[in-house]
Amino acid sequence: MRASTLQLLQYLSAMALVVLLGFHIIERVPGLSPLTPESYEESLSYEVVRRAYKEYWWVLALLLAAALFHGLNGLRGILLEWRPAAHRVINLVFVAAFIALLAYGLRTIALHLAG
Amino acid sequence: MAEKEWGRLPEPPREVVLRVKRYDPERGRTWWQEYRVPTYRGMTVLDALLWVKENADPSLSMRYSCRMGVCGSCGVVVNGVPRLACQTQIAAVASRENPVVTVEPLHNHPVVRDLVTDFTAFFEKHRRIIPHIVRRDMREVEEAEYEFLMTPDEHLSIYQYSLCIMCGLCYSACPVAASDPEYLGPQALAQAYRFIVDVRDEGYDRRIAIVDTEHGCHRCHFAATCSAVCPKDVDPAAAIQRLRRIVFLRRLGLWRKRKVAPLAGPLEKPLRRIRAEYPRHNLVEGADPERQAREPVDIDFREEWLRE
Amino acid sequence: MASEERGRGRLLHNMPGLLQASLNPWLVRVRNNPERLAFVLHRVTGVIILAYLVAHIFVTSATVDEALWESVMGALSGPLSRVGEWIVAGAVIFHGLNGIRLILVEFLGLGVGRPERPKPPYVPPSLRSGQRKGLYLVFALSLAGWALAGVIMFAG
Ligand code: FES
Repeated sequence: MRASTLQLLQYLSAMALVVLLGFHIIERVPGLSPLTPESYEESLSYEVVRRAYKEYWWVLALLLAAALFHGLNGLRGILLEWRPAAHRVINLVFVAAFIALLAYGLRTIALHLAG
Repeated sequence: MAEKEWGRLPEPPREVVLRVKRYDPERGRTWWQEYRVPTYRGMTVLDALLWVKENADPSLSMRYSCRMGVCGSCGVVVNGVPRLACQTQIAAVASRENPVVTVEPLHNHPVVRDLVTDFTAFFEKHRRIIPHIVRRDMREVEEAEYEFLMTPDEHLSIYQYSLCIMCGLCYSACPVAASDPEYLGPQALAQAYRFIVDVRDEGYDRRIAIVDTEHGCHRCHFAATCSAVCPKDVDPAAAIQRLRRIVFLRRLGLWRKRKVAPLAGPLEKPLRRIRAEYPRHNLVEGADPERQAREPVDIDFREEWLRE
Repeated sequence: MASEERGRGRLLHNMPGLLQASLNPWLVRVRNNPERLAFVLHRVTGVIILAYLVAHIFVTSATVDEALWESVMGALSGPLSRVGEWIVAGAVIFHGLNGIRLILVEFLGLGVGRPERPKPPYVPPSLRSGQRKGLYLVFALSLAGWALAGVIMFAG
């Protein structure tokens, strides 16, 4: 893939993250959250968290993909600066880590939706 | 680079201690060496280094040529900042309270000996971005009969970047070049931008392909230290950001060159010869400029020398 | 042959390396360059957030079972994890705000001034145009946001 394609995705995922992560954080703030927890402590109770998974699973899934891509691609850039000669290994590790972590995160969401 | 004390430098301290980082390639040894250097008003770091070479230690090596900030060969790191030695006043970097001036070779360039750094890779990167006008029909450049037309505004859009003297200070200050030897570097990327937006140039797609790699413009993280140390106000940081914009837009198919300058072509009216008078008010007695113009004297210097 | 090699000598590789470059904002001691500090902070906060993200993916996988989740939350409710969370919150705030600035500058090429005819005292346009003001705003808002996050997290 051309370097500019990945970098464009980096910026697009960043813009998506501003919105998605903003929502994800607001979920925890009492008074603002659509899940209506009583307090900051309450926002992490089993009930509220489960509702977050059931009602806004698509936000979590998009957030997971965007955050993983943005973070791992950033790390890939740092590693490329560190060891430019090892770019094959670095790119492979990037793809493998992205797929593995994405799958693991999606599994959690799928389990919630199923059960 | 911005000098806070511009125009009102204090008197330098009587004597400064020059701490020079030295390298001996034969033995592979690096060490710091201190020299006491008497100063005078207006002394530059290069003057101090030359004073050391002439009076204290002839084995100290450095590189310089023009002594006036034009050739870009005297870049060194003075007190932790890459600067041109010939443009840095001792009074600006040393004071009576702290008369120590540390001088190191430029970072990120391999050191040949003492303060001399190897610019082969740096120039190679500059060469890689095709630093000259490219036309579809290269004969327009190579067998140029006429110049390209360019308005003053179009010239201003590249003028700042064309002031680059390739001194390597930006490359030495860059945090990416500090660990990635393959990074093209601020100098080459700024020059790539300068040629891509030049109205006379048509080689933009070739250059974009060279710059759009993992070690090209996307490794820049806008730390902007390159612009902060540039002695010629070239502003590579801004150039690279605008270059990336072009690269992205081009990738999305949204950028194209607005205008390519045409050749000037022959003049509409032929040039007219006008008669000019020779000035007569300050002539040497007996001299006749008209006769001299008609019969120029050919002086054979070799013969003159032999006679002497 | 040997003497020729001795005569040429070896080149000394004089690069500060990745850690120095990405952790020390004063590696080049030039004035008028807060962008460098922002670069270092952006990178450091990015790595912190990525580490948190990976941990977060594993921790939240415990939500599938109520008892497990309660025990995990119990283990992570100490003051140390609270402070850790607060640091991550600060990192997210700075990284996000500075990221908006970087998108404007690096992606759209905005806020770096226009080319000019240099005049002494050579301060390049990119160091005194919109992005610089944006940077000061980013620093100020991040500090304020971080303090606010502290209030919500420790008092709420
Ligand atoms: S000696 Fe030419 S730039 Fe300093």
